[in-house]
Amino acid sequence: MSHASTTAESEDSSTIDTALSTESRDDRSSRPDETVIRSSGLDVYYGEDQALDGIDMEIPARKVTALIGPSGCGKSTFLRSINRMNDLIDVARVDGDLYFRRKNVYDADVDPVALRRKIGMVFQKPNPFPKSIRDNVAYGLRVQGKTDDVDGRIEEALRGAALWDEVEDRLGESGLELSGGQQQRLCIARAIATDPEVILMDEPASALDPVATAKIEDLIEDLAREYTVVIVTHNMQQAARISDKTAVFLTGGNLVEFGDTNEVFSNPENDRVEDYITGKFG
Amino acid sequence: MPRESYQNQLADLERRVLEMADLVTERTAQSLEAFTYKDEALARTIIDGDAEVNERYLELEGACIDLLALQQPVAGDLRFVAASFKIITDLERIADLATNLGQYTLQAERNRYPDIDISYIGEEALSMVGSAMTAYETRDTALAREVAARDDEVDDRCERASDLVVRDLIETEVADETTFADVRRMFLTIRDVERVGDHAVNVAARVLYMVENDDELIY
Repeated sequence: MSHASTTAESEDSSTIDTALSTESRDDRSSRPDETVIRSSGLDVYYGEDQALDGIDMEIPARKVTALIGPSGCGKSTFLRSINRMNDLIDVARVDGDLYFRRKNVYDADVDPVALRRKIGMVFQKPNPFPKSIRDNVAYGLRVQGKTDDVDGRIEEALRGAALWDEVEDRLGESGLELSGGQQQRLCIARAIATDPEVILMDEPASALDPVATAKIEDLIEDLAREYTVVIVTHNMQQAARISDKTAVFLTGGNLVEFGDTNEVFSNPENDRVEDYITGKFG
Repeated sequence: MPRESYQNQLADLERRVLEMADLVTERTAQSLEAFTYKDEALARTIIDGDAEVNERYLELEGACIDLLALQQPVAGDLRFVAASFKIITDLERIADLATNLGQYTLQAERNRYPDIDISYIGEEALSMVGSAMTAYETRDTALAREVAARDDEVDDRCERASDLVVRDLIETEVADETTFADVRRMFLTIRDVERVGDHAVNVAARVLYMVENDDELIY
């Protein structure tokens, strides 16, 4: 994984941790329209193949931003470049800039692990650790070094993930004993226990039944009161239901349209987007 | 093309809305004819036929709701279904106004206002409905805007007709119950014909929204 920044210096030389260490979520609550993630001319290559082509996007705070588009269009690649998950792929290369607040996340002094605490991720398939429900959430606290009031913090995270009422009597049971939907909410609890600012979700409900999906969708809307949520989904109705902003990626790793969800779904500017969302191609 | 059945349902909805418009336009033209020539048999046909229009309306309302519930149309498709949903309401109201004309025809014992040519006003309003539906079929926004502009002409004709009724009432020295009934009925007739034009403008407004996402005529 290499990064060739096309612009000179990041706008802020502080590390991710120091850039944000002085604020809690409550401090941030007064500026909901501020941009949290800004990508500028972002290209991603896998070897010779270009997966993203000059993506410019500003993701607003405490909103749900949905990334939609056909398979292979680059939406998951974009999601993963936000918290440098693409670092884990040897042949991946990134050009351009991606700012988390005022910090370019591809600067040499950014610790990807610290970055991923601030920008958590929930995957398509729930992946709880083969440990107790309590330990799954406590892990998130441990990586943050938070050792005081662990039980209180576990309860807070599980409540935040709308799971507490279903598991409060069996915190010692294995996370793998839970249903698929509960496992996914456990993973969300684990993610929010690290006190992130942004939660990335890669098709978080695609493996779930409609009832579990509805709970996750309700939860996503609740989470957006405190967190910035970016979600990749293949389910366009889901994007329409839960997101405030929609980004449409089409073939070739191009971001073709980005705007308010109600505008994109009622009056898209781009004819190809219209054809895609009405099902005429894709 | 993907979603072929869905595309067919959209095409089918459009075809049926246009058929409903043909039916309503034909009945309204007949109601004007019945009113003008005091053709009571024709008037009764119009009144009895309203149930068929209502039935068509309910069928099409169901088709729109099914499309929304089952296919979740978006973008241009959504605007088409939403516009069609509103347009069928206007068509159904126009048919109600045609039914009113049929009833006025039966109620009137004489033509107190030979100088007022209701069919002259009505035909203009009906022609607006025809143009609005052509705009719907051909996605012709220029034609839709033209329909809206023509409404002033219908309003002017209705105003002049109303003036004649008022003048007649003032000049009538002793107005009896029959006179009052004639006046009331003629005002209602003028108002109803004028409303046909208003519904045509509503249809044109929905066409503009459907094609260009433009709501300038809606409010």
